[in-house]
Order: sequence, then C-alpha cells, then structure tokens
Amino acid sequence: MAAAGFSSALKISDLNDFITPSQECIKPVTVEKQKKGLGSIRIGDDTDDLTLETPKIQRVQITLNDCLACSGCITSAESVLITQQSTDELLRILSESADRHIVVSIAPQARASFAAKYNVSYRSAGYRLRSFLKKLGVKEVLDTSFARNFTLIETKREFLKRYKEDRSRLPMLSSACPGFVCYIEKTHGEAILPFLSHVRSPQQVMGSFVKTFLGSKLSIAPDKLYHVTVMPCFDKKLEASRDDFFNEVTQSKDVDCVITPVELEELMLKQNVVFTDLEDTEESPSGQFALEHCYQHKGSGSGGFGEYVFTSAVRELFGEEVPFCDFKTLRNKDFTEVMFTRGDQVLLRVAICNGFRNIQNIVQRIKRGTCNYDFIEVMACPSGCLNGGAQLRPNEESPKELLDRVVELFKESQQSGGRSPDSDSAVDELYRDWIADRAERLLHTKYKAVAKSTSGFTVKW
Amino acid sequence: MRVEQVASLEGHSDPVWCCAWSSDGNTLATCGTDKSIRLWTEQDHEWVCGTILSDGHSRTIRRVSWSPCGNMLASCSFDGTVCVWTKKDGEFECSVTLEGHENEVKSAEFSPSGRYLATCSRDKTVWIWEQGGTDDFECVSVQSCHTQDVKCVRWHPNEDILASASYDNSINFYKDEGDDWACDFTATGHDSTVWSIAFDREGDKLVSGSDDQTLRMWKRYHAGNQAGISPSWKCISTIQGYHTRPVYDVSWCHLTGLIASGCGDNKLRIFAPDPEQQVDCHTADAPNFIQAASLDAHRQDVNCVKWNPTRAGILASAGDDEVVKLWKVFDYEIPI
Repeated sequence: MAAAGFSSALKISDLNDFITPSQECIKPVTVEKQKKGLGSIRIGDDTDDLTLETPKIQRVQITLNDCLACSGCITSAESVLITQQSTDELLRILSESADRHIVVSIAPQARASFAAKYNVSYRSAGYRLRSFLKKLGVKEVLDTSFARNFTLIETKREFLKRYKEDRSRLPMLSSACPGFVCYIEKTHGEAILPFLSHVRSPQQVMGSFVKTFLGSKLSIAPDKLYHVTVMPCFDKKLEASRDDFFNEVTQSKDVDCVITPVELEELMLKQNVVFTDLEDTEESPSGQFALEHCYQHKGSGSGGFGEYVFTSAVRELFGEEVPFCDFKTLRNKDFTEVMFTRGDQVLLRVAICNGFRNIQNIVQRIKRGTCNYDFIEVMACPSGCLNGGAQLRPNEESPKELLDRVVELFKESQQSGGRSPDSDSAVDELYRDWIADRAERLLHTKYKAVAKSTSGFTVKW
Repeated sequence: MRVEQVASLEGHSDPVWCCAWSSDGNTLATCGTDKSIRLWTEQDHEWVCGTILSDGHSRTIRRVSWSPCGNMLASCSFDGTVCVWTKKDGEFECSVTLEGHENEVKSAEFSPSGRYLATCSRDKTVWIWEQGGTDDFECVSVQSCHTQDVKCVRWHPNEDILASASYDNSINFYKDEGDDWACDFTATGHDSTVWSIAFDREGDKLVSGSDDQTLRMWKRYHAGNQAGISPSWKCISTIQGYHTRPVYDVSWCHLTGLIASGCGDNKLRIFAPDPEQQVDCHTADAPNFIQAASLDAHRQDVNCVKWNPTRAGILASAGDDEVVKLWKVFDYEIPI
C-alpha cells in the first residue's frame, strides 16, 4: 500500500529495485568487532549438549536517512518508513510517553479528502479529525495552512531576488513537493538543482514553528514535544526525515512523524471508530493555526504558489494589480500557464506543472536552455496535492469522482477567505516575534545531488 | 516454400541487435553492440553500407525505427537515451536526444501517423512522445503498467493504439483517452518474458514471441462484437513445439501474411496459415499456423527479423554473429 502512495516521480527514480533493506541493501554495514581475549576451552560432561555461545550481533537498523543518502533503491525506503513513521509509531509514543506533549498538524488537502469521502463540510472534517486525535491522547491539533504564508512570502522574495539579480537561475522551481525534489536530487543533480527554490515547504515551516516557537510559548521542553503531521502524500515522510530538518538546538526532527489520510482511516477502522459518528465541535480558536480559521490561500490546491508569485511579482515588479489569475491549459490539464504582457511584450511567465510527464518536459527544456518561464509551481502528482498518493480511496465512486469533490470542497473553503500573506498582521507579528533575523535558518533549506552508483553488474539485456 | 539467402551484410563489429526497413523498403538500418547505425541500400544488385552513424550513443544501440516519411530515424540505447536522426541535405544527423528513461531503453517506434514516438525501458515504463516542431519531441505520457523490464513497443498499423511486451510475461495495450493515455487491456498467457510483438496488416491480430519458446496469436475483440466478448485481446492460438530456445523477435508480413521468427537456437522460421484448415484465416477465431520453413540462419542467436514492407517475400535477419542477412521466400502462396 505504501508503494502505491509514492508519487510516480519517486517511483521511477529507482523502479528496478523492489527490495527491502534486509535483502539486498548495498549500504555498507559496520559491525564492531569485540575485543579478543585469550580463548578458553571448557570441558563439559557427556550429557552436555553441544552449545555454541555466539555473541549476539545487534540487528542493523537502516534509517530512512540512510536510504535518502544512498543512490540505491528508493523502494526500500518504503519498508523503513512503515516502521519509523506510522500510526503504530504514533500509538507507541502515545502509550509510552504520557508526559509528551503531542501536537498534530493537519494539511488542508488531507482535511478536504476526509470531507469529500464522508460527505461532510471541510470545516466539520477538521473538527472530526481533531476529536479522533484528541481521544487518542493528542494535546493539540493545528492546521498547516497558516505556515504556508511564510513559505509563500519567502518564495516570492527569493523569486524577486533572482529575477532582479540572477536570471540564469530562472525559471525558479517550487520545492514544496518532496517527490519532485527527491527525483531532481537523484536523477538530474546539478543540472537542475540550481533552479529549485530553497524555501521550506509548509510542512517544514510548520515543523520549525512548532519546535522553536510553540514549544517555548507553551513552556514545553523540545524533547517533550512530539510533532506529527497529516499529509496527503507518502513522499512527505521522506521530506520530514531529511538531515536538514533535524534541529541541532532542540535535538529533534522538526516533524517527528508523518501520517497520511489512508493510514488514519485504517487506524479508525482498527479502533472501530466511524468517522461520521465523531463529534464536530467547534472550539474557540486559539491562535492563527487553529482549525476554526479554515485559513486558505488563493490558487491551486497545491498551495497556490503559481498564483501568489505571479500576482505579487506583477505588483512589485511592474506596479500593476492582477484581479485574477487566468491559467491557460496547454498540452494537458496538468500544464497551465499565465503571462503578464505589455503591448506585445511578455514580461512575466508563470506555469503550473503537475505529474511526471510534464516534469519531464520542463526538465528537458531547462537542460536545453529553451524553457522561457520565470517561475513554475511543480508537483509530482497529476492534479497536484489534492490528488496526493495517500489521499483516501473511494468506496463506490470512481477515483475521479472523488477527486472532483475533494477539489470542490477545497475551493469552497478558499472562498471563505482566499487570503493573501501580504496583508495579514498575524503574519507580520510572527515575522517580528518568532523569525526576526533567523529566516534563513527557520524557513530555508538546502539540496544536494545524490551521486549515482554505476555498476557493470546491473546490466540486464 | 523455398527460401534463399540473397545477401550477407557484414560490417558490424559486434552482435547486431536490430534491423529495420524504411517504409519504401529501399533502405535497411541496422544497429548493435558496436554503438553504430548502418544504412544499407542496393546498388547494382549489391547491398552496400553507404552511411554509418556512430556518435549518438555511448552504449549498445538496442533498436532503430524509421519515421513513416523516411526522413527520421529513432535509435534507442542502453545508455538510457533515444536519438532522433533527421535527414538534412541527404545526410542523417542527430537532431535531438530524448532523455528521461532511468536506464536501458529497449525499444523506440514511430507511430504510423508519424505523430508519436513510443519508447520503453528496463525502468518498467513506456513513454509516448509527440512530435512538436522539427527537432522537438514532448513527453505526453509515462505509463507504469508493467511490473518489470519492458522489452518492446509496437504501434497498431492504422490506429493510435500502442502495444508493449514485458519481462512480466504480459502485453499491454494503450490508447489516448483525452487528457492522457491509459492502458486499457493487459493480455496474459505467456509463461515467460515476451520479447517481441507484431500486428497483422489490419491490426486485428497480434503475434507475440516469448522466452517460453512459443508464439501466441491474439485477436482483437472490438466493443459490441457479435460474439458478445468484452473489448479485449484474446489468445486464439499458440504455436509451440518448434522453437527450442527463446523467441527473440517476430515479424508479420503485411503483404503475404507470413510470420517470421528469430530464435535463440540460431534459426529463422517462417510460419504460414495451414492450407488444410478450410477457413479464411483473416476471420477465423483459431487460425492454424504451421511451420513452412526453418533455416540455420546465423551462427548464434537470431535477434531480429523484419519483412520488407514493399517487396513481398524479402526478409532481413540480424544475429549475435555480427551479420545481417537478406532472404527471399519463393512460392509462399503454397506453404509446403
């Protein structure tokens, strides 16, 4: 099931290796040899069974991080994920560490997925998820949408800087999709990496916020804080496990565990919880991250990167307001573009590119120097994050029918407040009180190419 | 039936993997482990190599395919790339290199309309590219329906339908469903790798050659067929008991209806409809094909067989013995 959840971009990076770490993992394992002393021979009596005492060698644990740093199989990462980032792990933490303050942050796409499948409103779906999680022992349930403000603002800033100072690094490619990032790191490396945005995804901004700000605000030591996110795709587990998101100060990962709608649903099933029977009580919202706000941005269901960068760049570069963004469909519905023109001159070109086939064309065009976009919102899943690989599966309707309703419910939630990060005093406040001069550390990240291992033995006719 | 060797084309310095006739039947392109493509034409009753294209790939060239117009040639390689060679001023040059497959590309085929190019790879995927401008191909679809190495892709002769054969023993059929292509049928039956497939002239039947030492024939059932069978490709006959090693390639002649196979037992075989079977083999649900000829064609594996598309009875074969051979089949109306 997990394999089906990975985006195609991830799967293609190493399709050949359906192995688990125990079988064929190429990662060198070091076994510490025990110091040898003098040997001794013990003479037993005849009735002794011959028993050889062998020192127990500790079973080698391959971490997800090892997998990510290795150019070998990506599919083995899957079995590691199952043990390290799962609802079982969450339950274990809940049962073993009563003193831990567990915070769960829910992505709006995951919330829309529950709403669509169980025919409840977007608002109600969030509250029901909260009831369930709180019953499990989770202390706080938040919405990741507000964190996206910082991703968007930093993305815009980075884009404007490149546009003004270093156009050789255009088109800038959004990097909120870990499937895409992983594919670029493993397959295209330095040829494409310079184009990637260095801004953290909303999940990782959320992680940064919870571990560095929320904790201190609530006076909870970082090691007592456990942060779980609910994300629409499995690839987000890979993202959370990246070295860059291990906080040296708090000595913990910004996001400790990522679970997905399909896993949550399975857990409900196991515990005989019926989603529609869960309470959907509204609480008085505490802070901007509360589910009650149904905070949303304009634009695509993947976070509205394209729309926001386009409108704000037109404003800041050319001093004009774009009332709405009319993305035109190109080759297929997953490849759309919008342009800002003056006279017959195109001044700004932004595209939204979803799915592996369209990523291919973008990558090839960049390599050939024929890609004339300035910014591209890239997501590995066809239809973007609302169609994430770990969203709920339909019972009777077709996947497309369910997706259509997910999109519809998500759009509805946007209408109640398609917000702009630029005119939000709460955003300014957090920039002042939390981020201050630490934007680089809290809101940005790095990428590195993963060298390919080439072995003559891998040839298959 | 009588088969004569009419030419032996020597020049490749390593095993030859593929030979392909241009649509006018006048030029034969060949390629192989020596990383070169050779173009052969007949001059004064002699087959000569007039062109060698050798700077496109860094590893074995697995297959070559002509565009229907004859002005383009696609080559695919174990280096993971596909080169499209375009004729300019009478010379072929590599006009575009298509990257994207993760590793060895096993097959590249232009669609009969010339609009599409299909490729497949050890990475288990099938890609469909669409020709944009002269030197531009865009990926329009990536299909991941096979669970293993994809060995061969072939287009339907008259419709934009693609078939692929795989190490997972199955054959998949794809068509354009509007926004994207989709696999709409998977044919299973072979007990091992399907190395090659070929459509008949009408595209109502497909023959497949497998590692299981058999050929299978598949019939297309259209939507709303009289037999009441759901739209599909069904196996209507198995040709077994002839091949003693894996069948690496099959070719179905659109002029004569004969089927040729290349086998790991160094033999080239020709199969013809059984004259004893008193049915029209074009409509029969279970046509009986029998072996009409078997030749020790090469000293090693026969990797590729191709019927000439315009000259009835002319057949090319390529082998691990570094040689390409041309054959002429006589008396093919009377198989035995």
